[in-house]
Amino acid sequence: MARVRPGHWQRAGRWTTLALLLALVVVPLLKLFAVVAGQGWAPVRQALGGPGAVHAVVNTVWVGITAAVLAVTGGLAAAMVTERSQVPGRRWLRIGLLLPLLIPPFSTAVGWSLAYGPAGLSEEFFSLAVPGLLGPLGIVLVLTIEAMPLAYLVVAAGLAARAEPDLERAARASGATAFDGFRTVTLPLLAPALRAATVLVFVTAASSFAVPAVLGTPAGFATMTTRIYQSLTFSADPASFGEAVTLAAALVVLTLAVVGAADVAGAAPAIRGGAAPGTGQPGHRGRGALAAAAGLWAYLALATGFPLLALVLTALTRAVGLPPVPANWTLANFSQALAGGHAGAALAHSLALATVAASALVVLGGLVAALERRPPGLRLGTLVTLTFAVPGSTLAVAVLLAYGRWLGGSLGIILIAYLAKLWALGHRPIAGSLDRIPPDLYWAARTSGAGVPAAVRTVVVPILRPALVGSWLLVFLFALHELTMSSLLYGPGSETFAVVVLNLQQLGDVSATSALALLLTLLVSVPAVVLLASRRLGRITGFQ
Amino acid sequence: MARRGSLAVLVALALVGAACAGGGEGDRSRQPGRPAAQVTMYTSVTQDTVDAVLGAYRARQPDVAVKVFRAPTGQLNARIAADRRAGGIKADVIWATDPLSMQQYAQDGLLRRWTPAQASKIPAPYKSDTFWGTRILNMVIVYRPDVEPVPVSWSDLTNPAYRGTVVLPDPAFAGSALGMLGYFAAAPGYGLDFYRKLKANGAVQVEGPPDVVNQVAQGRYNVGVTLDNSARPAVAKGSPIRIAWPRPGAVAIYSPIAVFDATRNPTAAESFVNFVLGPEAQQRIADTGWQPIRGDVKGSPTPAGVKQVTPDWPAIFGHQAQLLQAYRSIFGG
Repeated sequence: MARVRPGHWQRAGRWTTLALLLALVVVPLLKLFAVVAGQGWAPVRQALGGPGAVHAVVNTVWVGITAAVLAVTGGLAAAMVTERSQVPGRRWLRIGLLLPLLIPPFSTAVGWSLAYGPAGLSEEFFSLAVPGLLGPLGIVLVLTIEAMPLAYLVVAAGLAARAEPDLERAARASGATAFDGFRTVTLPLLAPALRAATVLVFVTAASSFAVPAVLGTPAGFATMTTRIYQSLTFSADPASFGEAVTLAAALVVLTLAVVGAADVAGAAPAIRGGAAPGTGQPGHRGRGALAAAAGLWAYLALATGFPLLALVLTALTRAVGLPPVPANWTLANFSQALAGGHAGAALAHSLALATVAASALVVLGGLVAALERRPPGLRLGTLVTLTFAVPGSTLAVAVLLAYGRWLGGSLGIILIAYLAKLWALGHRPIAGSLDRIPPDLYWAARTSGAGVPAAVRTVVVPILRPALVGSWLLVFLFALHELTMSSLLYGPGSETFAVVVLNLQQLGDVSATSALALLLTLLVSVPAVVLLASRRLGRITGFQ
Repeated sequence: MARRGSLAVLVALALVGAACAGGGEGDRSRQPGRPAAQVTMYTSVTQDTVDAVLGAYRARQPDVAVKVFRAPTGQLNARIAADRRAGGIKADVIWATDPLSMQQYAQDGLLRRWTPAQASKIPAPYKSDTFWGTRILNMVIVYRPDVEPVPVSWSDLTNPAYRGTVVLPDPAFAGSALGMLGYFAAAPGYGLDFYRKLKANGAVQVEGPPDVVNQVAQGRYNVGVTLDNSARPAVAKGSPIRIAWPRPGAVAIYSPIAVFDATRNPTAAESFVNFVLGPEAQQRIADTGWQPIRGDVKGSPTPAGVKQVTPDWPAIFGHQAQLLQAYRSIFGG
């Protein structure tokens, strides 16, 4: 393939991306490490060397890796059912699989605890409780279920973008069984998407706070995120503040080690076919596919439906502890959740910030993915994953240290924090599908006279549409649901929904917080269901 | 086309340069266009109480604008720590929910030394020369009505009759629970052995006082330790729990308010703090369900005649890390 000198657009794109990387990712990370270095070695050794800290690190690593492996396996199975089979009701299955993403994470662990914990809903009606829910096994279970939609979205986007029915049909026609065809053709083609999904799930699980706090505290199970939160609670003491920042820096180093190794190991591009992406999918409708679909529906009912039911019943019941029968139902919790006068403006700010962040990061993520392919092939993707791994509070502190003087208390600094944290979510799904674009098509368009924008619009975007839509959805939902950054960075007049949520949690009524979580879920579900259920929109987004 | 790229580079370099130049304490220059009578408050007090007090203040002093940054204690402290390292604290007043953070800020010289006119009405254990208590949070016992026997003292929690059914808030997460830990660690007849006995009796820790109320109400546990203000709304709504004020006394945590030394509006800030300590604001605080610090305010939600005990805050201060370590060696986390 001829090497072409980069033109104006390529240079502009490259320099813009590098400059923004520097400003949004490198500078906050440097500020973080500057605080750590400013303490000297002794406090760092003390913060990381105690047995409690070592336990927290070990716990974080094994929980993250286990959740990643399980979630990606589940996501792959689910994606194969919805994208490579013709079972009826696939569109509704997609909605069900993505539902956990729509539920705010601050209520997922609570919903599970209410549903399957001791004295929970399942114990009341079926005399069954999940043993070990309040402990490490429960944490891994809930993190896996929470992260599976993320893995599913990335892998499904990869499957949809690499519609190579000819290769798969050729394998079947040559006598391979379905499983052999899957193992030798589909899996290697999916390797970049699988790697992207694993990295995202690992980092999400390692930096999750709500699940270990709710399910791990009763068992005395600490993770780095709970330790950081605890150190920040007492961070009036500069030593405690330094400890929190040191642990966050350790999490960055840990992520660099794990994710960097994964990225370097998978650097070779997958096999490229020369054929244009087709539209016909090999559809399996046999008993195996139907059984798999039925299994998925059962999983959805147990893992998502029942905890959601527990949340709904808690939100409707007048007071905690009363039986959730219709006689005790009331809508007072919903009005209490929205009381206070700040809720409307806060929600508007959150929606606006999430939309802007999602739109910007899809572009920036694509740029980083494209830049990674150009020589010298810098591991920029690993770099943006580092800020994704930093827990929200500490990243907010780093952003405040960097830009607080000029932008403190404005919506702008919150947007900067969102862009810094969620860039990896814009980058990984696209990077997982990028190598499926046949380069000949792009060069053919350029040779025929199309400029770079036209060539990108007509060649790259249609193939990448599922990945682009997936990225946008992920960034939007994560930005809408995030709690710790905007509640630390906001100023009067720039409240986000996080402020409302945290205030309600401090007041303590689980009925009101469940009501708030449900309202937020409903708010995003309505457009999401419309998007996913509509046939026409499905064609536009690439999910058939 | 190349200019587009260079412009982006220049903008980003400017951002980076500005970021690198930031950091370190320095003089804050007055921003143009701000009214002189503006007070910025950093607080971790719940929004309804803040709104009630601000509403009363606005009626009293309509020309003073009070801007509020409200966040949980951890976020609040992190914000102040970041402010200190990036140009100085941007607030005039701080209203915290536990005395230990405030004591640390006082020791670091961040608080203004002055005496409000209302200070004489504040009981002596709840004030110093830089901060004053505004309300009292009581650690009490909640229990399900069908529990036998009914708990009446703190040591009852180690009763084998409650085996595996006692729940406590984690002091590593909640400042009020740390205050309680500090009290028991020094109290005669209790000490850290109290916590060891609790653990041996199967007590479980959860994140915070609100979770204790929720889980006792649900029936997951029968007896718990929580804040009176978390339990009362649940009782009022109809949850099946009762509050016990245990012997020798409910552990009283107080919520202090102070003025930052770096304030740009000392007169307005001091007048606001004085207002919060005055009868009108204290009445509003009582109305939102907290025990006011002043004894001359009617409508305190605390029942008359209950006993309260106070942790020895100066003794706890500076030893929080040791206390937490000792606690973690018993309960983990």
